[in-house]
Amino acid sequence: MTAVHQFVPALLPRDATGQHTLALQEVLRSAGWESDLYVESAHDDLWHHAIYFERYPERAEPGDILLYQLSTASPVAEFLLGRPETLVLDYHNITPSSFYDGWEDHTSEKVALARIQAAELAPVATLGIADSAFNAAELRRMGCRETAVVPILVDITDGKPRVDDTELRRLATELPPATVLLFVGRISPNKTQHHLVEALWFYRRWYDPGARLHLVGPSFTASYVDAVFALAEELGLADAVVHGEDLTDAELAAWYASADVFVCLSEHEGFCIPLLEAMQSDVPIVAFAAGAVPETLGQAGILIDSKRPSVVAAAVHRVRGDDDLAGRLVRAGRRRLEEFLPAATGARFVEVLAALADRQAVRS
Amino acid sequence: MAPIEPDPAAAERFDAADQALYLTEVMAEIDAEVRRRRASGDLPAGLEQELDELFLEFSPVGLHGKARLRETLALVDGSAYVDVAVPVESRKAVGSQIKRLIRKSMGWYIGFIVHQIVKFAWSVSRMFHVVVDHVEDLEAAVETQRTPELPASAVPANDPGSSWWSAEAVTAVSGVSGRVLQAECGNGSLLDALLAAGVDAYGVDPIESVIEPAVERGLDVRAESVLDHLEVVADEALSGMVLTGSIQWLHPNQRHRLVALATARLAVDGVLVLHSATPESWMAETSHLMSDLAPGRPLHAETWSHLLADHGFRRTGLTFGGEDRRLDRVLSSNPDASAINGAIDAVNALLLGPGEYLLVAVRER
Repeated sequence: MTAVHQFVPALLPRDATGQHTLALQEVLRSAGWESDLYVESAHDDLWHHAIYFERYPERAEPGDILLYQLSTASPVAEFLLGRPETLVLDYHNITPSSFYDGWEDHTSEKVALARIQAAELAPVATLGIADSAFNAAELRRMGCRETAVVPILVDITDGKPRVDDTELRRLATELPPATVLLFVGRISPNKTQHHLVEALWFYRRWYDPGARLHLVGPSFTASYVDAVFALAEELGLADAVVHGEDLTDAELAAWYASADVFVCLSEHEGFCIPLLEAMQSDVPIVAFAAGAVPETLGQAGILIDSKRPSVVAAAVHRVRGDDDLAGRLVRAGRRRLEEFLPAATGARFVEVLAALADRQAVRS
Repeated sequence: MAPIEPDPAAAERFDAADQALYLTEVMAEIDAEVRRRRASGDLPAGLEQELDELFLEFSPVGLHGKARLRETLALVDGSAYVDVAVPVESRKAVGSQIKRLIRKSMGWYIGFIVHQIVKFAWSVSRMFHVVVDHVEDLEAAVETQRTPELPASAVPANDPGSSWWSAEAVTAVSGVSGRVLQAECGNGSLLDALLAAGVDAYGVDPIESVIEPAVERGLDVRAESVLDHLEVVADEALSGMVLTGSIQWLHPNQRHRLVALATARLAVDGVLVLHSATPESWMAETSHLMSDLAPGRPLHAETWSHLLADHGFRRTGLTFGGEDRRLDRVLSSNPDASAINGAIDAVNALLLGPGEYLLVAVRER
């Protein structure tokens, strides 16, 4: 029996790669494969799922397939480069270091190292699995011989998510009624939240002076967070830009439920899970066409090719003021979501890995 | 916003092609709304750029400008002083006395260390003052070398749709499947031809009054420079690019930026079409104002090919055209034909030659 063991730098709860890794382990085991998780570090609550990666050699079996969850720099990459087993990369993208230059040098150095490791691993991997065609193209440019596109396994359903009513009431009572633009994602230069602030300024100036921007996500790059909120203050938007972080899934669902339009102006996204969350919460989407955003979004949102604040504001206004358009986008989002449900994605993973295992068996 | 419930009947009616067409129409309406706002004066030129510049003031990557430099220097000066008089206030009566006692007993020790720290900090501060003074001297020297701006009236009107190269440019991009940008689209004459050939084309031009006829015809044109526009376009978002107009006399730094941006914004297999005057015709035919004050000079086609190849492009076409001022060779029956034709060849090669060229290249990596 072939075994597909996963290697991941860090196994963390409430982390897209961590959730994907655990879900994939379940999929692989359900398909009848042996599948263990080898990690460099793990959250205390998750260590019972994992084994320290350097212990793999003592458990290695002939025919093992090693699947590396590639999204950050780690000694695990160096370890895998020295292994003789068949290597598969599951690539979630690495933000180019140029986004962090000048903002946060240590992050810039870390992602640059991650890209170097990716470039070393890609040519020796037998297969590269990527969340998106955008990521697959990057893998091929790094020298990966064969790639397959399989979306990330995300914890979504075709029903609406459970909403924390207390949080929903708090948002409704503590903040004045207003048009709410929402973006979810870590506050970081590649997500360009400052462009969202500029767009809000235009939207208030042209259409709705009371509109607010809700930014949900961890304060990832401290100097950038400071600059975004300093800009908001300078533009007289200190009370109109509201930041939410450390939310539970149900609290996050409440922020989605209280939003009118989800606006994404990221300049680099390898997949962009929040687009699916917005679709699940029936929030119409306006997004800048960068990275993997166009392919994740499909036709379920307004895709803008310029992030000029005037264009963003006009697009939000168009969605906000046209119920027919908003309805069509939401319904298209529901249909789009079906393509990313875990059952379909899990089956695709099994199909891709089974084909690899068959080829390997024929060769041996 | 009222909750939107899934509508099964609508799902059955869903058609992907219809949705794509519908979204294209919505985008066109959004663009029209922005143009209307611009025309009404709601969107003054440069306002959006001012917002970006404002953000840079809060950014560590935006530390530029004399004021910012001096402001930061003042912060360094302010932080270079270390106060040894530790506060001794306390909510408890005895606490204050104890703190005062500690301060007094430790004073000599802390004072000795602080003296060295302050000395180091002042040395650093002094060094920064020297650097800032030097930078300001350099800025002043650079300023004296700035050339006067080229007046807009000196730039000839751009009507690329009626040029000798327009049909070839249209053919070069007519096979691509995504959006095609035309820089310096002028009155939109080439955009008309591109659209008629089924190309999803749009244009930019920095001079707002020039694009008015195109706006009136409902074309997707934007009043901005190609460099400003490419800054806000996503990577690999374009399938084709037609560069003409002032592209040929950009400052070398701007030309370098343009090539880098074009490379990033064009998808792999994207087509780049570049029209330029030849350096020979530039010197012979442009107005003196233009040839003296333009920030740069046109390049030879081979030089463009080299620059583009360095960025992963492969040249697929090069056509010379425009006014050809080369002298005809004399007939061989002329007894001095050999000497005269030698001279004519040299003059043609050095001073005359074809007037313009159209270069086509494909991004390969």
